[in-house]
Amino acid sequence: MAPNTRIILICSGKGGVGKTTLTANLGIALARQGVRTVVLDADFGLRNLDLLLGLENRIVYTAQEVLEESCRLDQALVKHKQEPNLSLLPAGNPRMLEWLKPDDMQRIVGMLAKQFDYVLIDCPAGVEDGFKNAVSATKEAIIITTPEVSAVRDADRVIGLLNTNGIKPVQLVLNRVRPKMIESQEMLSVDDVTDILALPLLGLVLEDEQVIISTNRGEPLTLKDNISPAARCYANIAKRLQGENIPLIDPAKAGRGLRDKFMRLMQTKIF
Amino acid sequence: MSFSPNSSKSQKITLPTSRETEWGKSLSGLINALEPGPTELDCFDWRLGCRELKKLISILENSGLKLTRVSGNIPETMVSAAALGHPTNLLLTTNEKNKPTPSQTISKEENSQKLLFHNGTLRSGDHLSAAGDVLLFGDVNPGAKISAGGDVMIWGRLRGIAHAGQNGDLKAKIVALELRPLQLRIGNVVARGPEGQPEQGLAEEAKILSGRIVIEPANTKIPKA
Repeated sequence: MAPNTRIILICSGKGGVGKTTLTANLGIALARQGVRTVVLDADFGLRNLDLLLGLENRIVYTAQEVLEESCRLDQALVKHKQEPNLSLLPAGNPRMLEWLKPDDMQRIVGMLAKQFDYVLIDCPAGVEDGFKNAVSATKEAIIITTPEVSAVRDADRVIGLLNTNGIKPVQLVLNRVRPKMIESQEMLSVDDVTDILALPLLGLVLEDEQVIISTNRGEPLTLKDNISPAARCYANIAKRLQGENIPLIDPAKAGRGLRDKFMRLMQTKIF
Repeated sequence: MSFSPNSSKSQKITLPTSRETEWGKSLSGLINALEPGPTELDCFDWRLGCRELKKLISILENSGLKLTRVSGNIPETMVSAAALGHPTNLLLTTNEKNKPTPSQTISKEENSQKLLFHNGTLRSGDHLSAAGDVLLFGDVNPGAKISAGGDVMIWGRLRGIAHAGQNGDLKAKIVALELRPLQLRIGNVVARGPEGQPEQGLAEEAKILSGRIVIEPANTKIPKA
């Protein structure tokens, strides 16, 4: 039994802002630092965390069979092929939505907490039953949002709900930041967002095409010593989560330095 | 939400109608308005199971209130209360009769003594409502709503919707350290918030002048009691 297990819910309210991508990348990044990490897909209706991790074809049992006690927990856990410190507990079929109760979620998470240092829960979008189930089992949360008014509004609502459920601490990750658009005042700035949400900022993730490529391949960016901007952001978030003091990137300076220009040149494929 | 002192020693706590807010959100405000001692709980139109009711009652008892009787309009709630061993009283009045009609005007003098204090930011989707005046120590974020029968005072930033004098009191005011609302309502008058940014560090108040809501620097004079 590991009493210091950190159980972290990754949620956003709005869909498509990067919950699953963050869960996958953070899971890999933490595992690479040597901590035993498990990612739990709580999005039973629309599961795709297994896809992002490239583990879809290795799933035999799911959380459903574990709850029904037709298999043991370690049979259902899927170890990542390159990063053995990371395991995935896949979501069962979508009909789990109908019968899953907060008690079941707590039972699953309780079992995972005995074996792992970090339990990352990928929360479904919305604030309905799936969200409530996930919240009931968690201790702390990471809110991810993009600099758009709709995403910030939904995040605000979710923070309110987390507060009423006594989840502490709640930290913020701002995804898909485009320094140029912030500079030209076409996008909400980091300050605009933190001003409304009033949460400690755990990290920024820069907009990066590599994220789309890695998602489609099922190889999270953090898997390799990747030089892409988003990969560095995810790795930094994982380090801050571990208590390391790493300064936030300044979006005004990101991508401007000589080093970044050189890196970009290196990545350009010349045929 | 309302608090009606009885003529007898016993006091009564009435939950707000289930269609407006969750009981948990307004409970602390209701408890604040009461003295510790014997209290009757009116569950109004809440359908509460044993578990929920038990939670509600334990909150009341932790704040020093002694439950004398549970009343309400919903038979299921009464059954739960009876199962928990509390004397019950099923009020068979229809919702219409029991509900305070919105058109009913309560003058400001009547509930000016009652102040609901809330500490904490109201986030999107939250709604804080008070019968009398309300003082919020925190922000009202976009998408949140604060409403009061009397004045709305916000020690923080107002960026959502504020409704003062919701029972029709046109003398009610809305005061905030930073007044940048989506919408302001006083009585039945509605105004959209100002477009521009307010001056930094200047508290402002909104009130009705000749039928329209106007915003001006807050009155810093302390009114004579």
